[in-house]
Order: sequence, then C-alpha cells, then structure tokens
Amino acid sequence: MFDLIVFVILVTLGYFFGRLAEQRHFKSIKQREHLYRSVLCFSSRFPPPNPTPVESTLVAGNVVISIDYFKRIAASLRGLLGGRISAYESLLERARREAILRMKKEAKFKGATSIFNVKLETSSITKGKNQQVGCVEVYAYGTALIPVNRG
Amino acid sequence: MIYQNPKIPEGINVSESNPLKDFFFMLTAVSGLTAIVLVLLLLTAEWLVKFTPFDFEVELAEHIFGNSEYFSAEDSEKQNYLDKLVEQLSVYQQLPDDFAITVHYVEQDTVNAYATLGGHIVVFEGLLEKLGSENALAMVLAHEIAHIKNRDPIATLGRGMTVGLALASIAGLGNSSMSTSLLSPINFLTAMAFSREQEQLADEEALEAVIAYYGHAEGAEQLFEILQANGHYEMPEFFSSHPMTKERIAYIQRIQKQYNGDHHLTPLPIFKLQSEKRSIHE
Repeated sequence: MFDLIVFVILVTLGYFFGRLAEQRHFKSIKQREHLYRSVLCFSSRFPPPNPTPVESTLVAGNVVISIDYFKRIAASLRGLLGGRISAYESLLERARREAILRMKKEAKFKGATSIFNVKLETSSITKGKNQQVGCVEVYAYGTALIPVNRG
Repeated sequence: MIYQNPKIPEGINVSESNPLKDFFFMLTAVSGLTAIVLVLLLLTAEWLVKFTPFDFEVELAEHIFGNSEYFSAEDSEKQNYLDKLVEQLSVYQQLPDDFAITVHYVEQDTVNAYATLGGHIVVFEGLLEKLGSENALAMVLAHEIAHIKNRDPIATLGRGMTVGLALASIAGLGNSSMSTSLLSPINFLTAMAFSREQEQLADEEALEAVIAYYGHAEGAEQLFEILQANGHYEMPEFFSSHPMTKERIAYIQRIQKQYNGDHHLTPLPIFKLQSEKRSIHE
C-alpha cells in the first residue's frame, strides 16, 4: 500500500513538472529558432561552388534531457501494448532541436552564415541500467562557413 | 543560388494529444488484462489442484503442520468419541477409502471447528460444550468431512498461493522469503477460508449424511443458532466467508419439514473430564 502511494505521488509529480518543463522548453525553442533563422543548415558534405571566399570551422552543440517518471511509466506501459511512444517522441524532438540551436548559436557567434555536413548523434546515457530514470543526449555538429571580407 | 530557411510546421514529430488520456487508457488496458489472466490462473489452479493425490496432500500437511500444538495426538475419552463418530459418518458420506480423516480435539474456549489440509479436522472444546446434542455435533463433523471429500482445503491453498505469487511478482518481491511466508503454518490455520459455493455444497452433503445416519435432521441447525447467539462480535474468523447464518438455518428447516415426525435427539455422552471441570467451576 505504501509503495502504491509513493508510486502515485511520483507519477503525479513527474506529470506536472515534466509537462511544465516541456511546454517552457518548446516555447523557448520556437523563439530561438526564429532568432537564428539566418544561419542555414545543410546535410550535404560540400557547399555548392561559390565565388565568395569563406573560412570553415567546426561547430557543435549538445544537450542532455532527462525523462520524467510519468514518461517512463507511460513508455513502459506502451512497451506492453505496442504503438507509438509519444512520451519519448516529444522528448527526442526537443533534444534534436535544442542541439541544432546550440550549434547555430556557436556558428552565429563566429560570424557564419551557413553550416554544411550537419550530423546528429543520439545516445542514451543510462542504457542498460534498470530501475533508473533514463536520459538522452543529442549531439549536433557540422562545418560552419564564415564569409571573409577581402577589402 | 539562393537558399531559404522556411518555417517548418509544428506537430510533425510530436502529436498534440493529451498524455493523461493516453496514460489512463493504457493503465486500464494493462490492469484489465492482468485481472483476466489472474482469474484464469485462479480457475486453472483450483481445477488442477483437485487432481493432486490425497497422499501428497497428507505429506504436504505433515510438512507444514509438523510440530503444531493442535496436532499432537491425545488419548482422551472425548477424542475417542469424536474418532468413532467421524468414522461412522464417513461411511454415510461415501468417503473414498484412501481419504484418511484425523480429528483433533483442542481444549480451548474458541467456539469453532475447521477442516484443513491433509484430512485434519480440528474441534475446539468451546464449541463442543455449547452443542446440546450428538446430532448437532454430527452436523459439524459431517460438514468438515464434506470439505475434505470435496478437496476444499487444497483448492483454497492453490487459490491462495496463486494470488500470493501473482501479487508478489507484480510487486517485484521475487525474493526467497516469499515462498516461506506463503507456506507458513499460521496462514493455513487461520486463513483457510472457503468460498460460499464450497460452504453450501458442504452443508448440503452434511445434511444428507446426518439424515442417512439418524433418519431425520433434527438438531442440525443448532450449530448456526449458536453462531447467531454468539453475536457478531465473537464471530470466529473462519465463519466470515460462510453463507449467511440465517439462510443456512432456513435451508435446514426446509429439509427438516420433509422428515416430519416425533424425533428424539441423541444426547451427547457425559464425559468424566467435563463434569469434573463443571463441578470445580460451580
């Protein structure tokens, strides 16, 4: 009985704080995406032939986001029934967009206008550990092109 | 070449559904399925357990009750009397030959009698003192013999262990202390609660046996009258799952009407020990 009460409290706490954090995060992501729209991202390895001289540098951004208890239970229930784990879909979406944003921020700080060869790496930090709230890391990196003014 | 950064519409990867609604749907589905599986397991356990040979049940009982104080053999007048009565009733109940019944008379004030694993019947002094006739005592004993004949104790054990194991595995308490707590003697002595259906069947069979033995059913209702008079506050745990006492008395009275006539109750023999004890009290 005591275990059940603890469980319900954890799920409720997880739901409210997790949802609050997610809503705030999405709001901030949308604002900053607008802010860094001028930095263009490409997945192709090489930029198209361009007469303007550029300098290139590596830019990267990474983020680690933890799931909450509610998401964990919802996902494990999903694991029994099958189907889309929507609780994790939003989590990964946040992580990807945040990682790209951090990369773009670095690029903008260095004066770049575009990033080529953008790649994303995802890893689960608490992989294989039972009875632990998991978290996900997304790492975004690419080659930023900085236009050079030669008088 | 001119590149643009279009605004990507939201909601492609993340669907705007209410996570709570989804959560409760899944919770209901999973718990519903668990309940169905549990019920199926229970029914299977109860059905399968009746195929357990009686010999095995006796061995199991010995293993569990091995050194229980209730089961020490005693050679007293009352004990012999109970043994004889059970033996005679067993014949009328068509008890299979390999079913050995052992009665244990316990000198305690508890107003109770019960049947448990391995063909053991426990009768407390408290109940025997309150019963006014041999007919009433025969009804009690026949009722317990019927339980043993129907394999009710081992069916209840199977049911209890299934629920216990299922609950333990859900709670994730898969440690070794679990199996020992499931098989503890205290569980069997106090928590051997039969279902309503089992009780009703035992009542019916017991009544038939008593009628076959005495030729009438007078006095059979006395056990239930004692239980009623004893009041709810003193209602022994064992009787809590029995059909409503009133209903049982009514049922017996219906049967008694079929055997109308002037019947005499067989009195209980006067036990030396009992009379001595009474005189000390008075």
